[in-house]
Amino acid sequence: MSGEYRFGRWVPAEQVPPEAERVTDQVIQRFEHVFEVDPDLMGRHFNQQKMATWDTKRIVAARWDHLDAVHAEFADEVILAGEGPDPGPTTSQEHE
Amino acid sequence: MSNEHEHNESATAPTAATAATTVDLGTPQFLGEVEQAFVEKWHENATGCFSSGHKFCREVCPVTQVTRNENHTPTAFHANVIAMEKGHLTVEDVADDYVHCTQCGGCEVRCPNTLMVGDFYRARTETVKVVRAMRAMLVDKGLDREGWKVWNRLTNELKNEPVLGVEGDSPNAQAQVRDWAEGLDIPIGGDTIMFVDCEAAYYRTSVPRATAQILQAAGYEFGLMNEQWCCGGPAGEMGYVEQSMAFARHNVDDWRKSGVKRIIAIEPHDYVHFTEDYPAYFGEEFDFEVVQIIDLVAELIRDGRLKLTEPIDRVVTYHDPCRLNKRKGIHEAPREILRSIPGLTFKDVDRVTQWSYCSGGGGGLPIEKPEITAEISRRRLEKASELEVDTLVSACVWSERPLTAAGDEAGIEVKDIIELVAESAGIEIGGRTRA
Repeated sequence: MSGEYRFGRWVPAEQVPPEAERVTDQVIQRFEHVFEVDPDLMGRHFNQQKMATWDTKRIVAARWDHLDAVHAEFADEVILAGEGPDPGPTTSQEHE
Repeated sequence: MSNEHEHNESATAPTAATAATTVDLGTPQFLGEVEQAFVEKWHENATGCFSSGHKFCREVCPVTQVTRNENHTPTAFHANVIAMEKGHLTVEDVADDYVHCTQCGGCEVRCPNTLMVGDFYRARTETVKVVRAMRAMLVDKGLDREGWKVWNRLTNELKNEPVLGVEGDSPNAQAQVRDWAEGLDIPIGGDTIMFVDCEAAYYRTSVPRATAQILQAAGYEFGLMNEQWCCGGPAGEMGYVEQSMAFARHNVDDWRKSGVKRIIAIEPHDYVHFTEDYPAYFGEEFDFEVVQIIDLVAELIRDGRLKLTEPIDRVVTYHDPCRLNKRKGIHEAPREILRSIPGLTFKDVDRVTQWSYCSGGGGGLPIEKPEITAEISRRRLEKASELEVDTLVSACVWSERPLTAAGDEAGIEVKDIIELVAESAGIEIGGRTRA
């Protein structure tokens, strides 16, 4: 699940994370599909850390690999969430 | 924090001698300046661990698996920071606990604070750094362990680690640092240099010889350093930060003098030091590209520049070196290489399962606690035995010494992945696999 990022090649210029794009009032995004809490909301109780690009990519890749391993070990079937917007909880009328 | 200690100034601090045997939880103690700075720096990380308390780290920790001592768990390393902050522990109380770590990083990657939300909060568990900071404090306070003291004194004298033994006159100095390359006609300097770490340069010389000849066979140009010292990483891991920085300074200056732009790290520990410690030491001044050899060799094979033609009739499994897999996320390239070797039967164990595997060869553990290293390696070979293989393949020369010793007992040969590639490329490697 490491994708195309080359963990075995460290290029200094690539290690500074790109500028963030705002996703919602609370969330920003620096890498595709990698969401990050708005840094302005951090600091009161817990500070953000300095994190190079490779380390963010490492964590994300490790999470997918871990989920794959857990699914392989424990799941009879893995159901993926849809790519579209979350429809929210169904109403009682819809149940009827 | 500071108010709390102002209140406690009148408390009588026990001496090191009394504190070493009894921890008095009822009498908070005043922290010295160094300890105060330490707990302030690591307060958030320790609190993140202590307040979560999931302890997923315990069973991936190779040392905890062996000692079953709660004081040796990654959780304890963080809890101690809280206890020191509250005045319930002194450095003396916990000094020996922090020796019990290979700095494999398994605890960090398995911690949900890293694995599930580390990228979201841009804050992850940094146990390895806590261990290193504690060890640095032990050095500052003269509480460093005797074995590490000798090892680093000799490293400072020799300019390379005393991997052939700390007693007697082992041929382990600068005069012999390039002996492994005899007859290979490798130039000095150039755009790209191959950094050969101490264990490879003096102990398992088959690894750098195989690496150099593979690169030559693929037509990949590289040179060696003018004057190669130890990378300084092990000194940093054991807490000798000034020595680590001095060695790093020397190596960077040597690269600069030769016009080097790219460093090939043939060993995973070096790759970690060059991509984490060196940038931390030198900031933007450190502008070299660093390439891990496994990534490079996989590319050379993929691009057809390196032909693997000789069948290797072995049944193998792969040991994910901690610093490649857990610390750096490098696990696909070695598997790609093994699958490209003709004749090889490869029985794989996934990288996540291997977060709890280790050789015990890192972080200075074999110097201070060789019996724990040996047991970690014995258990690793036991896992390999269950797969009915004849060979355990690693990609870390530091892991290969303890694994080989355990392999002798288990009847399984330990090979470096680059040695196998060279054999499959029809190269007569030379050198030796053990002293």
